[in-house]
Amino acid sequence: MAVEQPTKPTVGDKLYDMMFHNYVWKSIFRTGYPNTPRNQMLVVATNLFLHLHPTRIHRTHVKITHTYCLGGLSFFMFLGLTVTGILLMFYYVPSVERAYLDIQTIQNTVEFGQLMRNMHRWMAHAMVILVFMHMMRVFYTGAYKPPREFNWVVGVILLVLTFLLSFTGYLLPWDQLAFWAITVGTNIAGSAPVLGPKTRFWLLGGFEVGPQALIRFYTLHVIGLPLLAAIFMAVHFWRIRRDGGLARPL
Amino acid sequence: MATAVVARPVSRTQTRSREEEVLVWPDLVFIEFIAAMLFTITLFLLSFLVNAPLLDQANADVTPNPSKAPWYLLNLQELLLHMNAAMAGVIIPTIWLVIMGAFPYFDREQHGQGVWFGTEKAVRLTIVSAVVGFVGTWFLILWDSGKIAFFLHGWFGLSGGDSLRFLENVRSVQTQLPWPEWSRNITYSPVNIVIIGEDFQHLDFPAWLVEQGIPTMAMVGMSAMLIFSLWRVGWVVTRRDALIVLFSAFVAAYGVLTLTGTAFRGQGQELVFPWELKVSEGIPGQE
Repeated sequence: MAVEQPTKPTVGDKLYDMMFHNYVWKSIFRTGYPNTPRNQMLVVATNLFLHLHPTRIHRTHVKITHTYCLGGLSFFMFLGLTVTGILLMFYYVPSVERAYLDIQTIQNTVEFGQLMRNMHRWMAHAMVILVFMHMMRVFYTGAYKPPREFNWVVGVILLVLTFLLSFTGYLLPWDQLAFWAITVGTNIAGSAPVLGPKTRFWLLGGFEVGPQALIRFYTLHVIGLPLLAAIFMAVHFWRIRRDGGLARPL
Repeated sequence: MATAVVARPVSRTQTRSREEEVLVWPDLVFIEFIAAMLFTITLFLLSFLVNAPLLDQANADVTPNPSKAPWYLLNLQELLLHMNAAMAGVIIPTIWLVIMGAFPYFDREQHGQGVWFGTEKAVRLTIVSAVVGFVGTWFLILWDSGKIAFFLHGWFGLSGGDSLRFLENVRSVQTQLPWPEWSRNITYSPVNIVIIGEDFQHLDFPAWLVEQGIPTMAMVGMSAMLIFSLWRVGWVVTRRDALIVLFSAFVAAYGVLTLTGTAFRGQGQELVFPWELKVSEGIPGQE
């Protein structure tokens, strides 16, 4: 009986071997491409970034029309905003004297600065829209129903945090659009009975939009609110898993 | 099991067979990757083509007309034009967020989850409520702008004369009706509770009616009436149905308010068509 002989390795095989089967590569990625179901589950379960997911899910949940990826995309926008936001922070100083000039510098002098600013702005708008649409998706698929009641509440909080994140970022360019939008916006908050004027004063650090307001909005925008949002997001994602993944018919 | 003590038990556990399962790698991870890539590319393209706006440097002395909040708050700014500021800007959104957060505690039925429009009449209810919310909100905005009376008079020569002037817009209920003098200053509390300078002892009834009464009646009353009539027709059966009506009407009204505030409000917050919308920079001599 003829025993099947291994084929002679081609140049491609040798190159592949050199690149992916060397000591350094294997110290980073312990396995090659996971091409068996067992390895595929292992990679999801043991990889830090993938382990948010379960290893297997119900097949209806990979149907695009079930979720339209809206929740995941909202999170992706958050990540993208963090990256572009950090890049913008390198150039931006939240002082009344510098803020506007810094934005002009970012746009005119900084390499890819205009692109980064545009990305940050359009992603922010996209995130507001995506979060709202995600809420609509969850509502119309009845995914807030038991046992996911509290995760819906967390979602409503995240919706508010998204609005606040976008709102605090709106002031930072320190142009007429920013200044008057925040003046109008904080006037709305200031109209609340009893607590309104105090809230407005606390938000602005004064009676009108000025240097104190800028530094407060900046601090809330780059660290306070993102931190809070990250905590609520962690709870949100954790509970999706705890509550048995996405909702599906009983 | 120890976790059963803390985890709220689901009345029916969901089981699935291996045949119904797919692997997260590659079936889900690749979809996520493609979605993320599509959005990245689209946003990059958008960012190449359209620049983020940057106007002149902030100047507290130069007020643009109209001054507008960020677009996602323009629904509230639009509400502000029609009613008491505290109510439009803070009380209504707060109450609505609480109501929305309480949805799952009102509708505790497990059935109908995980599928789009889980009840028999859900699609129909969504469409009807959205249309009612859309048309109703537009009608109220138009009415309050006085444009309906204007068009009726200007186009059809219809006029109710002075006796119907109070129907022109919401405010004319206060200004055009012969309210007795006492109704403008009703003392309803024996002591004056003064909190940050507001007068809580006296009530100007016509003003209260216009700024708080009618808007509350419009919002609460219309939602209740909508749910009630759809229940009488037999379309609303479960609590889930009632929520679908409420939520769909909200989304439609929210959309109309945002759109109106964004595209239909010109100088002095006048109701105009989007192509007539002009912004005055507020610089003297350049009006």
